[in-house]
Amino acid sequence: MAAGFAPIVELVDVSKSYDTKKAVRGVSLRIEPGTMFGLLGPNGSGKTSSIRMMIGITVPDSGEVRLFGQPFTRAALKRVGYLPEERGLYKKMKVLDQLVFLGQLHGLSARTAETRAQGWCERMEITEAMPKKTEELSKGMQQKIQFIASLLHEPELIIMDEPFSGLDPVNGKLLQDTLVELRAAGKAIVFSTHRMDQAEKLCDSMALISRGEVVLSGAMREVKGLYPRNRVEVLFEGDDSFLRHPSIAEVTNYSGHAEIRLKTVDGVEPDAQPLLAEAVGRGTRILRFEVKEPTLEEIFIEKVGSGGLEQVETDRRTAVTRGAVHA
Amino acid sequence: MHNVWLIAKREYLERIRTKAFLVMTVLIPLLMIGGIVGTAIAGRSQQSNSHIAVVSPDLDLATDLQKELEHGRNSKMLVDVISPAAADTRTVLDSELSNRQLDGYLWITAQKTTGARPTFTYTPRSRADIVTRGTIVEALSTVLTREGLAHKGMGSADVDALMAPVRLDSSQAGKNDSSEGAFYSAYVLFFLMYFVIMLYGMNVARSIIEEKTSRIFEVLLATIRPEEMMAGKVIGVGSVGLTQVGIWLLTAVILTATPLVSRLTGADVHVALSATQIVFFLIYFLLGYLLYSSIAAALGAMTNSEQELQQLNMFLVLPLALCMFGLGFVIPNSDGLVARVMSMTPFFAPLIMYMRISIKMPPVWEIGVSITLTVATIWAILWVASRIYRVGILMYGKKPNVSEVLRWLKYS
Repeated sequence: MAAGFAPIVELVDVSKSYDTKKAVRGVSLRIEPGTMFGLLGPNGSGKTSSIRMMIGITVPDSGEVRLFGQPFTRAALKRVGYLPEERGLYKKMKVLDQLVFLGQLHGLSARTAETRAQGWCERMEITEAMPKKTEELSKGMQQKIQFIASLLHEPELIIMDEPFSGLDPVNGKLLQDTLVELRAAGKAIVFSTHRMDQAEKLCDSMALISRGEVVLSGAMREVKGLYPRNRVEVLFEGDDSFLRHPSIAEVTNYSGHAEIRLKTVDGVEPDAQPLLAEAVGRGTRILRFEVKEPTLEEIFIEKVGSGGLEQVETDRRTAVTRGAVHA
Repeated sequence: MHNVWLIAKREYLERIRTKAFLVMTVLIPLLMIGGIVGTAIAGRSQQSNSHIAVVSPDLDLATDLQKELEHGRNSKMLVDVISPAAADTRTVLDSELSNRQLDGYLWITAQKTTGARPTFTYTPRSRADIVTRGTIVEALSTVLTREGLAHKGMGSADVDALMAPVRLDSSQAGKNDSSEGAFYSAYVLFFLMYFVIMLYGMNVARSIIEEKTSRIFEVLLATIRPEEMMAGKVIGVGSVGLTQVGIWLLTAVILTATPLVSRLTGADVHVALSATQIVFFLIYFLLGYLLYSSIAAALGAMTNSEQELQQLNMFLVLPLALCMFGLGFVIPNSDGLVARVMSMTPFFAPLIMYMRISIKMPPVWEIGVSITLTVATIWAILWVASRIYRVGILMYGKKPNVSEVLRWLKYS
C-alpha cells in the first residue's frame, strides 16, 4: 500500500448480536499491511462472526469496519481473498471449471482464471485433480482447491478461517509456506486458529477473543513476553534431589513425574537449562524433559478464568445462527 | 448484472448437462408421441371393418344397406348380399361363421302386412364386437329413413340433402382456426405450464438447499450479494425450464405439421396453436415461473433439508392445485365471475388467465390488470424472499418459526 500507515483492516468498536446472543461485543482490531495476523480463541468466542463482518457477509449492529483505509464497500471485496471455515465447493462440478467460475466472480476473465488456476494447481501438487469432479476428491485435496480459489484473483488481503484444520502435516506445511511467501510479497493475511503453537510460529501479531471480546492483543513478541514458557515437565528415574534447585518456584512431584513452574524475573523467559544440568549432574536418569508452551487454554484460563470455556457450551445451545456459535 | 449472468450461466450449463435433463427432455416427447399415436389408433378402431353377410327378401333394401355399410361415414365393412335366402343359407352362413370367414350375418325377415317394418336378426361371431353392431344399427336406421322418405314421394336428391350430417361451426368470430383443436392445445399447454412451474420451482428450492448443505454460498457471499445469487439461480433454472418446454413444443409442432403422424395413424392430428396463444403462453409462463420460483427460493433459504422442504411444500402446491380446481369453473364459463376473479388474482392469474385467453379473448383491461397485479406481487415476493434468503442462508440447525422469519425481514 502506498499509504503505508493505514491499516488494511480496521474494526472499530464493532458489535453484533443474533437474537438474544451477543456474538461480538465492542471488538477493535488493526491489521497492518504485510503482516500475518492471528485471530485466536476457542470455539464459539466470536472469531467467525468477526471475520464475516470484515467481508460484509453480515453487517455489524454498531461500530465501523474499514478495509484498505476506507469505510467498507462491496467494491473492496475484489481485493480480498476469503477461505470460509465451512469449506464449500460445487460437488458435481469439475475442479478446473469450478476455479474458473470462482475466478470470474472475482472479476477475472475466463482465460486469466484458467491460466492462474493451472499455475496454482501445479504449485499445490494437484494437477491430476483438475479434470475430476470435486466429489471424487479427498477432503485434503478439496481444501487445497478452496485455498486456490481464494487466491486466484491475487488479493491484497487474505482472510482465512481455520485454514489448517483437517490437513495432514505435509499439506499443512505446504499451505504454511505459501502463506509465508505471500506475506513476503506484501500481502496482509488474517487467519483464525485455535492452535497457539501455529500462531506463535507464523503470526506477527494476534488477538485473543473470548465471549465476543478481545481479551488480549498485540505484537506476538510482546504477548509471548507476557506469558513466558516457565513450565517444565520431567519424567525421571532415581534421585529427585534436583527438584530443590533454586530456579524452581513451585513443584508437584508424582514419584517420577514432576510438574515444575520456574521463577520468572521481570517477565523474562526463565532458562530451564541449569535445571537440566543439575539433574544430569546428580546422576538422575531423565526419560523426558520438556519446556512447555503455554497452551491457548492455559493463557485463556489465566486471562479470563476457567468459566470462559464452559460458557461456550451454554452459548451453543441458545445461539440461533452458526455464525454466533462458531467463532 | 455480470455476477447474475455468471451464476445463471453456471446453473444453466450444469443442469443442461445432467442425465435427468436429458431423460426428461426425451421421455416427455416420447410419451407425447405415444399419446398421439395411441389416441389415433384407438380412434381408428372405432371404425368397423368387419366382413358380414346380409340376407334379405328385399334386394333393394339389402343393396342400400350394403352401400351404406361399405361407404358410410364410419364404416369400411365388407358386405355380401344374399337375396332371397335359399333353404341352406343359414347352415352355410353358420359354418362360415365358425370358419372365421364371416364376422356375422344380418337376417332380414319381411312382415306379413305391407308397410310394416321387417324384423332384423344379427348373429355375430363374437358378442363383444359392439362396434360392428352399433354401425349396423346406425346404417339400418339411415337406410330405412331414406327408404321411408322416398316412399312418401320425396326425390332422392332431396332425401340426400336432408340426411346430410349437420356441421356445427364453433370457431370464434373472425377466426377460421379449428376451435376444438385450439382448446385441446390450450388444455395441454395449461398442464405443461402447471407441471413445469411446479417442477422448476422445486428445482430452485432444491438447488438452494444443495448450496446450503455444500456450504458453497459462503464463498459466493464473500463476493456477491444474496440478491444476485438468488436472481442468478432463478434465471438459470428458469432458462433450463424454457429450453425444455421449447424442445417439447417444437417436437409437438414438427410431429404434427409433417404428414408423419397422419400416415402412421391414418388420422388427421395437428396442433392448433395460434401466434396469440404462443405469445400469451410465454408471457404467463414467465410470470408464473417467477412468482412460484421466488416463493420456492424463500422456502429453500428457510429450510435445511429436502425433508423440511416437503413440509413447506404446500405453499407452492396449494395455489397451483387451486388453479387446477378452478379449471372446472373456467372451462364451462370463461366469462363467469369465478373465472374473472381468479384470472386477476396474482397467484392464479398466470394459469387461469392463460386458459381464458385460449378459450375466448377476455377484455384487454382484464389482461392488463392480471399482468400488473402479478408483476407487483412478484416484486413484493422477491423483496421478502431476498431478505429471507440473506438471513436464512446463513442459518443451520433448527427450523425457523414464523416470528423468527418475520424478524429476519428487519435485518439488513
